[in-house]
Order: sequence, then structure tokens, then C-alpha cells
Amino acid sequence: MLKSKKNVLWEALIVTIVIFLIGIFLGMLIETGNSNKISNLYARSEISLADGTATLQLFEDYNLSCETIIQSNIAFANKVYDEAKLLEEYDASGKLSDSIKLLHKKYDLLRTMLWINNQNFIKICDNYNLVVYLYEYETEDTNKKATQKVFSKILLDIKMENENMILIPIAADQEIISLNLLIEEYDIKQFPAVVINNEKILYNLDDLREEFN
Amino acid sequence: MEFLTILYFVYTFIAFYFLMIYVLTYFQNRRHIYETIEPNKIRSLSIVIPCFNEEKNIGKNIEAFLASNYKGLKKLIIVDDCSTDNSYEIIKQYAKKYPRVIALQTPKNTGRAAGAKNFGIKYVKTELIGFSDADSLPNKNAISKMIGVFNDTKVGGVTSRVFVNAPKNYLTRIQAIEFKIIAFTRKLLEFLDAIYVTTGPLSIYRKKAFDQVGDFDINNLTEDIELTWHLVSKGWKVKMSIPAVIRSYVPTTIKTWFHQRIRWNVGGIQTVAKYRKKFFETGMLGIFIMPFFVLSWFLGLTGLVFLTYRLTRFIMMKFLVAKYSVAAQVALVSMEDFSLNPSILFIFGITLFSLGLAYTVVALAHSKESGRIIGHSILDIFIYSFFYLLMYPPLLIVSFYKYLRGYNTW
Repeated sequence: MLKSKKNVLWEALIVTIVIFLIGIFLGMLIETGNSNKISNLYARSEISLADGTATLQLFEDYNLSCETIIQSNIAFANKVYDEAKLLEEYDASGKLSDSIKLLHKKYDLLRTMLWINNQNFIKICDNYNLVVYLYEYETEDTNKKATQKVFSKILLDIKMENENMILIPIAADQEIISLNLLIEEYDIKQFPAVVINNEKILYNLDDLREEFN
Repeated sequence: MEFLTILYFVYTFIAFYFLMIYVLTYFQNRRHIYETIEPNKIRSLSIVIPCFNEEKNIGKNIEAFLASNYKGLKKLIIVDDCSTDNSYEIIKQYAKKYPRVIALQTPKNTGRAAGAKNFGIKYVKTELIGFSDADSLPNKNAISKMIGVFNDTKVGGVTSRVFVNAPKNYLTRIQAIEFKIIAFTRKLLEFLDAIYVTTGPLSIYRKKAFDQVGDFDINNLTEDIELTWHLVSKGWKVKMSIPAVIRSYVPTTIKTWFHQRIRWNVGGIQTVAKYRKKFFETGMLGIFIMPFFVLSWFLGLTGLVFLTYRLTRFIMMKFLVAKYSVAAQVALVSMEDFSLNPSILFIFGITLFSLGLAYTVVALAHSKESGRIIGHSILDIFIYSFFYLLMYPPLLIVSFYKYLRGYNTW
């Protein structure tokens, strides 16, 4: 009699394992799908960045107009910004694999390169409107997370009002050597920080509001 | 993978496993849930009823037992535990009127039901011995529906289904749902030979089995759980009769409800501590009942930790974002706040909760107390599922604390 009772315990264990494996498999499938989607977008952005670098070369060699360069960079930065939002969304729901985290780092490197590219233009073109938002990606500090969320909201609002603004959000704690060098160069001591046109660095919400009002 | 994610998976795995045990057991045995076994002979039975300050209920209780259609009921032994009200006088009047009723009084107040029950046991000479509470009212056929299980000589005890008597306020209505779920679950556990408690309102034992395990443990706050584990550890089977219904009064205020639940939990902890050496020993007590009992605590406590952690962080985050957003004059809510990409953990959680809710509905549908399929309002089921069950883990924490502090008050 006991044998048959134990059978139910084994059967239930097998059913549970099967359900779990199916669940985890589906989860992995969804996360891999998300990751592939971001990878494809990244590949395109990488091409756009290379295109931007080539444009910079052309700009120097053929004396192209600043307006053309600005519009092209704004379009590219907007694309990267939209992809960043999608990446954040997938990142929040990704629990099984680290692939999205790795993509996040690749994107941060790409955005760092975008910043470096734009640094050159800012020296050449007037009325260039470059805002780099540096934040901490790995922080567990609730207060910091909340502050960063509000920073993002304000910057998004500002961007909506200023169509010509190039907004580049970059996670500063991804151990990217080039980014760390830039951070050191600008003497940025804490995050979140907003670098405006490579001149002004803002660290708090009030200063940010005031700057754009 | 993060540690919390791994812990969450372990939690949901165990919860799924328990649920699957119930689901499979239900589908394999659903035709036998209401089954009643016809007794192959009439077995003599004495019912022992401890009583302390129950002048309002004891008369109705005695009359309900006297109205039983079971012919083998020889004696109703009512043990007054030195009540300070008129209980003993009422019992004596019934004893004078009905020869089957025996009125007894303990020499001094024992302070708990186990003490009065042990006093009454000495007067039992029948093949079966039953116990009830003074505030419980059995249906006329309740005992008859239970006796047939003793045809199997390996059966040591049988328990009944407890319904809440006249649920009036919210708390009692929710407990009415809870008692039905408990009864249904207990019946499913019977199919696994894994019943872990024979309830106080009405349980009957083979006297031979009872004598083998001795009296009720007077130091245990849930002597009925302790007795059941003792029986199972000696190799006796314990059964549950769903058609045997007894109605009992339940706490009507939060304070008395809290006190009762602390007593139940502390009693459970005392029992686990007493039988800890039986863990993983052969037999259903070691391989299922005890691990099941302890893992249920793990589930409750882990669930509470998860919920508290997540909820606290969520609320803190929302509060801080709202505070800073107001100060910075930005919108409190934006489209970015809504994610349409739920994580796998969320999907697991929702699935688990939905299955739990389905289990509740199936259990209620099997109760058929009022003749209606479910018999309870959606609001009551909602409150039971979303709020009442959440009270279990905090109660468990308080109980652990009280147990460690040596709490042993009835």
C-alpha cells in the first residue's frame, strides 16, 4: 500500500520537474529572443556609428556643413536612446541569463564612442547641444535608483522640448576603460551626473531643472 | 543568476510540488472522496467530552450526541474541568436523565483539554473511544459515517469534517472557507496515509491503538496533532470521513483568533521538536508528514520574506520617485513605468497563485454545505486568498518566538 502512496510523490515530482523545465525553457526562449532583437539593433547601430566616424573624416576633409552633421547625429542618438529604453525593459525582465547584461555593456561602449565622436563636432560646430547622462547601472541603493529615475524623466522631458538636443545616457560603472578615462578627464566624482556640452557638470535635480528652465 | 532568483525558484518548485501532489491525488481518488464504508459489525463506542465554562453550549452538545443514529454509542463521558460557571450542574442533570451520560469532574482544574480528556479515558471500557469539544455539534449521522473505517484492523483513528457553526461576522465567514479547505486537503492527505491531525471537535480511535500510545500529552498545546503522530509512528493508519460533519464555534474576534492560532502553531512546533528523530525514517510520518510540515513552514516564511522585501523596495522606490518628481516638477507617472515584458519569475508566481485559487474553488465546490456549488461570495474568497492566508507566516514567526520563550499556555 505504501508503495502506491510513494508513487504519487514520485509522479508529482516528475510532473513538477517537467513543468519547471518547460517554464525555464520558455523563459530562456523569450530572453534569447529579446537578446537577439537587441543584438540585431546593436549591429545596425554599430554600422551607424562607423558611418558617423566616416562622416567626421569627411567633415574634416571636405568641409561639410555643421547643420547636416548635427541632424545626422541627432537622428542616430535618438535611435540609440530608443534602443536603450528597450534594453532597460528587457533587462528588467531578464532573470535567467546574463546575455542582456553583456549587451548593456556593449551598448555603453557604443554610446561612449558616440560621445567621443560628438566631442570632436562640438569643437567645430556652434549651437551644438550635447547632453551626456552618466548613471550607475549596478547600484542597489534605492535612493540613488529613485534619483536616477527622476533624472531620466527630466532629461526625457527636456529632450521632448528641445528636438535638437543629443542625449546620450551611459552606465558609468561598466568598467569601460575609455569611459573611465573620460570620467577622470572631466573630474566626475559621483553619479548620477549630467555633462552639458562637455563644459558643465550637474549632480542634482534642482541644478538640472534650473539649467534648462 | 542572482541568489534571490535561485531562492525564488526553490520556493516555487516546492510550492508547485505540493500542489501537484494534491492535484494528482485528487484526480486519482476523486470518486472516493465521499465514500463511506459500511461497518461490518456494531462496535461499542464511548465519547469523552472535556468541558470548562461551557454552560451555554454543553447542553446542546450532549443532546446532539444523544440524537446520533449510531447504535453502538454506549457512553457519553462529560468531564468538567472544575468550571466556575453552571456547566457541571447542567451535566449532572443530563446524567440523571440519560443513563448513557456520565458526569465527571476533575479533582482540580487541569488548565487544558488534554488533562480533562485523560481523566475521562479511565472510565472507557468500549472497543472505540471518541473525543469531542463541548461547543461542537455533530450531525445525526456523523458517527455512523466514521465507524466503517475500523473494518480495516490497521486503522487506529478516524477524524471528521469540521464546519463553522453559524458564521456571522467577516472573521468567522473567512474561517468557514478556511475550514472547508483544510477538510478537503486532509481528505486528500488520507489517500497518502498522511493525515497529520485528528481534530478536537470529533475524532474516534480504536481503544487498542489508543492504549498503545498512552494518554494525551498534557505538555503539548495541540494534543490532537501529537496523538496522531504518535499513532502513525506506531504504524496505525488514520482516516478521514468527509460525510461525517460536526459544527463548531470559532473565534469571533481577532484577539481570540490570534491566541488560538498561536496555540496551534506552538503545539505544531512542540510536536515537530518531540518527533524530530523520526525525520526521514520509514513510514509516512518520517518520509512525508514531517518533511511536509516543516517545508510548509519554510514556504510560509520564505514567501513572507520575499513579499516583504519586494513590497518594501517597491513602496520605497515609488515614494522616493514621487517625492523627487514633485520637487523637480515632472510627471509622477509616465509610459516608461509600465513594462509589457514580465519576467519568468512573475509568470511562475502568477501561475502558482492561479493554481492555488483553482484549488480553493475546487475544495469549496466539494464541500456542498449549502447546496450551492461554491457557497461563498467572491469577495470572501478574495479576502481569504489575498489577505487571510498572508496572516499565516507572521503568526508562525510570533509562534516560533513564543515557543523559544517557553510559551505553554492554553
